[in-house]
Amino acid sequence: MIARPFASILDGLIRQRWVTAALVVSERDGIVVESNLQIGQSGDRMAALAASLYRKARLSASAAGLGAVSFMQLEAPAGRICAVGGGDLVLVVVAEPAVNVGLVRVEMLRAVGELLAIGGEAA
Amino acid sequence: MQMTVVESWIEAPLKRFVVDAGAELALLLHPSGQVLAQHGFARAVDVMSACALAAGIHASSAELGRQLDGRPFRGLHHAGRTRQIFLAEALSPRGAFVFLTVFGQESSLGLVRLYFEELVNGLAAAAPPVEAITGPALAEHFERDLNRNLAVLFGRA
Repeated sequence: MIARPFASILDGLIRQRWVTAALVVSERDGIVVESNLQIGQSGDRMAALAASLYRKARLSASAAGLGAVSFMQLEAPAGRICAVGGGDLVLVVVAEPAVNVGLVRVEMLRAVGELLAIGGEAA
Repeated sequence: MQMTVVESWIEAPLKRFVVDAGAELALLLHPSGQVLAQHGFARAVDVMSACALAAGIHASSAELGRQLDGRPFRGLHHAGRTRQIFLAEALSPRGAFVFLTVFGQESSLGLVRLYFEELVNGLAAAAPPVEAITGPALAEHFERDLNRNLAVLFGRA
């Protein structure tokens, strides 16, 4: 049986309307730790690119003296990518344009504590 | 750092990999250890050592995979303190090649794996038709061919 330590976080996010993928990714490696994806989504590809994007955003914010990145959102014509970090882990959500970003943001920020707690235990 | 290739069709896919993945070093070789392309190396002797080691590691890990799992391991990743290596087999219509890359903290294993897949597809698309059946891994002219390839890569041909 495969352990799914982040199942409650990911299942809660994927239940949100218009959310198509939720992943926990290692920020340093860009590798999927756990994911909940709708059919047709490429988890590995998304994880690698989103983790790279988040890490660069975090480093840019730090270089500009802005402090830690709390929430990152990328808007594209066909949807959005949202990411929050917790330790070495990044929680990534992919959603369609109609998604309620405010709600997703609240859920993701709420999940950071859990991410840190489980990620810290795993490390 | 300049990229050099023995066969020109390799250059475009490999260049794209180096740029996209942010690789510091890249090496494409025949499983026998014959170099086909390199990026980031300054000396022929370093390429020769890296090719010999990569071919040896690839052969050992493939055999280990066969014994443990009934099929060869295709990829290997080692994370150092500041740099990481990724070694994998790249299948193409011209046969199997071994690919070795070194990357730093600006890149990640996920990105390297992602762009490695694209490199394999790019090589498959760019490879010219096979003209003849390739010879044994250690042909009688191995050293001559190796020296010729190194001379091509480092401008002594």
